[in-house]
Amino acid sequence: MKRSKKIIERIRQEEIRPIPKWVFTSKNVIIWLAFLLSIFIGSAAFSIVLFAIQQTDFDLISHMSHSRLEWFLGLLPFFWIITLVVFIVISTFSMYHSKRGYKLPWSRLVGGSVALSILLGSLFFIGGGAGKLEKAFAIRVALYESLEHKKKKIWMSPEDGYLSGTIQSVQDSIIQLIDFDSRHWQVDFHDAFIPPVVYLENGEAIKLIGNINGENSFKAEEVRPWGGPQHRNKRKGKRKKEE
Amino acid sequence: MLIAQHICDQFTDKELVEKSLANIDFFSCLYERFEPQLLRYINRITSLNNEEIEDILQEAFIKIWRNLNDFDHNLSLSSWIYRIVHNETISFWRKKNSRGKDQNIAFDDHLKETISGDANDIENKEDKEQAIYLLLERLPINYKTVLVLKFLEGMSYQEISDVLKIPEGTVATRINRAKKAFAKIAKEHGVSFDKNFQNTSL
Repeated sequence: MKRSKKIIERIRQEEIRPIPKWVFTSKNVIIWLAFLLSIFIGSAAFSIVLFAIQQTDFDLISHMSHSRLEWFLGLLPFFWIITLVVFIVISTFSMYHSKRGYKLPWSRLVGGSVALSILLGSLFFIGGGAGKLEKAFAIRVALYESLEHKKKKIWMSPEDGYLSGTIQSVQDSIIQLIDFDSRHWQVDFHDAFIPPVVYLENGEAIKLIGNINGENSFKAEEVRPWGGPQHRNKRKGKRKKEE
Repeated sequence: MLIAQHICDQFTDKELVEKSLANIDFFSCLYERFEPQLLRYINRITSLNNEEIEDILQEAFIKIWRNLNDFDHNLSLSSWIYRIVHNETISFWRKKNSRGKDQNIAFDDHLKETISGDANDIENKEDKEQAIYLLLERLPINYKTVLVLKFLEGMSYQEISDVLKIPEGTVATRINRAKKAFAKIAKEHGVSFDKNFQNTSL
């Protein structure tokens, strides 16, 4: 008997049917959805990494008296860096398992995923979405320590020379400040360095480097905006609207 | 009832796929169209006996039938079929190889017999072919596969890329390495081939 006939008979006898087209179509759709979703999450993670870097005062390391390495590692947004790496791996594998993915070398697959995550993440960061996303995440995930919380831990230690809070009033060279624990402070900023990004106005959140010089009294050597340079742009926009 | 050869010949590969999905009898046309080259290919990369080769091909065609709806019409049907047959062959070969590891000794003895004496002057074409096959047997399977696909099956880099699901650049690199490995093994066995190994017709 011809071998071709044998095969047709076997297929008929065992009632073997071709897998329906929708199964393969669904598989492809799932692969592309996984790719898009992982690129989206990877981009979000990258934007938050950028946000974390922007919010972190790495220059403070030089002021630190105890382990600088430990302090530096504590500042890195490991959770988001790991998330970014994991989703870059997932998007790379999704791309590889697409119909034509095998045609691209691994270097290009990885490079493409990284480039897309960086590009979209940067756009998201520039658009101001990173901070909001990080905040929303911190509210919903109890175990996650927000960047804001980490930052407050550093900037709410007046004994070490770091103080932060919201300006209540400014008179001559004295700021009435209420810190994030609702404690009132009198801040002398007479000899302090104040960069142009800082607006000393009521309601403005600021960070201070200096020393305690009395009960609830702080002598500032440097004043910084609480939200970083991005904060200044927001303020500018707000001011224009008010005008 | 099977389709007559002259009717099968009227259709292109892709038309036969569509026809097979509508009427299973047309699947026999596909089988018969590719059978000789695929049997030869399996033999070239594994040197199994005829019965095993036919079993592999039958199992591969059952898989082809099951996955017929997954055939990408942008790809050549030949590459797609070779891919499935190749995977089936490799998986069979690996299973078999894990059972018996003493085959190399037999190949070495056979090679010595084939090139008996003056290894550099293999004038008989059949002996030369036989020597090539036996030397190929000494190569790792991924090297042997690319050499067989490129030089014995006469495929382009793109077709090999589609069969093995690897980028064309990787195909080129692997062929280069495989050629070097082949030359080294040939030298070790006292066999020399001309520089244009790719033009060796078998």
